[in-house]
Formats: sequence, C-alpha cells, structure tokens
Amino acid sequence: MMRYARPESLDEAVAALADGDATVVGGGTMVVPDMTHGRTRPAAVVDLCRAGLGGIEADGTGWTVGAMTSYAVLERSLVPLLARVAHGITGGPQIRHRGTVGGSACYANPGSDIPAVLVALRARLLLVGAQGSREVAARDFFRDAFETLRRPDELLATMRVPAVELPFGYHKFKLAEGSWPIVTAACVAGERLRVAVGGAAAVPLLLDLDRPSVGTADPAWRDHVRHEVARALSDVGGPFDDVLAPGAYKARIAPAIVARAVADALQAYSGEESA
Amino acid sequence: MSCPLRLTVNGVPRCVEVETQTLLVHAIREQVGLTGTHVGCLTGDCGACTVMVDGETTKSCSVLALSAEGTEVETVESIADGDELHPVQEVFWDEFAFQCGFCLPGMLLTAKELVEQQPDADEGEILRAINGNLCRCTGYNTIVAAVRRVVREARAERGAG
Repeated sequence: MMRYARPESLDEAVAALADGDATVVGGGTMVVPDMTHGRTRPAAVVDLCRAGLGGIEADGTGWTVGAMTSYAVLERSLVPLLARVAHGITGGPQIRHRGTVGGSACYANPGSDIPAVLVALRARLLLVGAQGSREVAARDFFRDAFETLRRPDELLATMRVPAVELPFGYHKFKLAEGSWPIVTAACVAGERLRVAVGGAAAVPLLLDLDRPSVGTADPAWRDHVRHEVARALSDVGGPFDDVLAPGAYKARIAPAIVARAVADALQAYSGEESA
Repeated sequence: MSCPLRLTVNGVPRCVEVETQTLLVHAIREQVGLTGTHVGCLTGDCGACTVMVDGETTKSCSVLALSAEGTEVETVESIADGDELHPVQEVFWDEFAFQCGFCLPGMLLTAKELVEQQPDADEGEILRAINGNLCRCTGYNTIVAAVRRVVREARAERGAG
C-alpha cells in the first residue's frame, strides 16, 4: 500500500521527504488524477494540505506567496499579474479553490499558465530540504517539460515576487473554455519589454523586445517579434508538441500571442488578429 | 490494510476506513454511502464529483480521501431541506435545466455558491462560476438560463428584504 504522510508544519514536511522517494501532493488537481489513471504510481505521498504553506505576505519590496496558496486566494490578492492569471485558470471554481500556484510550478506542465508568469515576474523560488534551503530564479527552475530543479527530497515553500511598478499584460490562447492554454504570453513593459511565453516550448521562453514605435501592428516590429521568438525557440531545442497542438503550430502563433500581450500591457491593442 | 478517516458529512460526524490512495469521491459514495456525488471523468474536468469541503466547491475525484481528514463535507444531498427543494433546485426544475442529471452535483453546488457569494454576479461571472462543469447532454442553454434566474431572484429577494 502507498505510504501516506500529512505533515503539519514545514519541518515535518521536510522530514517526511528526506528519503527522496515520495511524491508531493499540493492541491492534488494534477497529481491525484495521475495516480488514478496510473500515470504515476508513487510508493509514498507527502500531502501538504496541513503543512501551513498557504497565504500571501506583502512588504515594501514585493510579495511572498506560499506554495500552497490556492488560485482562489491568489485571484483576490494584489499580487501583480498572478492575481489576474489566477482568475482565468481553467477548471471552474472547484479547481481554483483547490489548485495551488506552487503545485503548478512544480508540476511544470508547459501548457500551464504559471511557469511563464513566474519567469516574467522574475520570481524567486525557495526550495527547502533536509540538507538546507536554496533560492532559485524562476528562469532557472524550469528545466524541461514536467521537470524542475527541485530534488525529490526538497519542497517548494514560497515564491518571492518582486514589486512591479511597470504596466503588465497577459494573453492566452485556447480554443475551448475548458481547455488548457495552447500558448500564453506575459509582458512587463519597461523601457524594454520583458515577455515570457508559455506553452510554445518545453520551458518558458524569455524575450527581451523593443517597444513598438508605431503600435503593435507595425510590420517591422512584428518581424522583430517573430525573429526573437524563433531565436528563443531554437535556444531551447524547438517548440513543444502536446495533445492540444503540434509544436509547429505553436511556433507559428506565438508571435501573435506575444503581440497581444504587449498590446495589453501598452493598452494599445490594435485589433490585428493575424500573425 | 486501511486507515481511519474522520470527517463530517452533511453535518453528521463519520469515521470510515479507506486505503491511502482512496479518492474522496469513492469514500463518500462507497464508505459513507451517499451516491448523489457522481463519478465522471476522474481527471478533474467534468465536475460531476463536486462537493463542498469546508465551505468551498471542490472536485472530490482530485482529492485523496485522507486529505479530507477533519473537514466538513457537504454533498448535493444536503441542499434540500427534507422534501423541500432548495431554491436553486426549484429553479433548475422550472427551467428544465437538466436532462440526465449526471452533472447536477457540480451545476447545483456551483450555482448555489455563486448566488451566496456573488449575488450581484454579471453574465461573465455566471458563466465563469459553472465553467468547471461538463453537461454530457449538452443542455447548457437551459442550465445557463436557470443560473441567471437564480441570481436574478436572489437579487430581487435581497432588494425586497
């Protein structure tokens, strides 16, 4: 029978993971169906539902988001971008009550909203294990589809989101209400545009773009976006196929999704729909 | 080998025996014996397994039973008062808002949660409240009409009160 632990503190959770053979269950919305359908058969589960890792704390320099913070809590918060993204998570209130932002980060589904958003926000993730703690940049955390820097004896405790004084935008493309997103883009608009693209590749793409001088429909600026998306895709080994769309399709639409996120950030969406 | 699970279901304290990998939906149906909560996709997509856990709608197929230790669970059976249907159920009845009824646990509980938490819900919020439920009969038009009416009547009642 699968071993089961329900630690009641961070320390207890770390101790329960020390053997390195346990699967961590956060909200369970991904891992539990994986167990049901035999996609994973853990020898042991560490269930974080009582470990006290939820909640959001604000200070002068940003937010500390507990790994077990649900989308429902997040969407009522003031955390930039994450609150808005949480509002649009697929699956209805039942999933937004249960699913957690830390769980989504650790599950690292390329088609999830959260990884690219954490990269766009320059979040730092605190991993805690029996051998100590380490803080890693979101950009480094996502290693491959469904693979992160987290070791099996570590858990994600918090995500540190620096304050964002700049305008931000978000766009996600999906073809049905109940679908995972196919491609997402999150933009933080400073003198340059920091854009993270989700879904297109196994890991989020990070782009550093020029601001459009004459609007996001400008063909020259669109060429620049296409070029930067193509270069970022080739840097990570090309686009990612999943059940929703082949990688080539995602590569084709990603520049348009980026342009929409940029337009959203600049509040100047031109209405152009094609890539 | 099994583990004890203590929880409150529809106001009644229960202690049942479950395996560590048992899902909450199976514990409710098979150990507690309440079959109003349905097993649909077992992937978290369809919403037929929806229950309230500590006051929040939850897909009980995506929760290990042992995660619900000590919680208060309310199932679709709890919302009527004996033979007296809940107002949300009355409206679903009047609007022909279900055909086979398989999706009703999710549709009724999310509609009830919406009207309790957001009595001023607009059209977008109404659609968002039920977008975690699939109706296999595809009877969405009447379901949406019913939820709109639930919200409208709750608002009128509040205005009158």
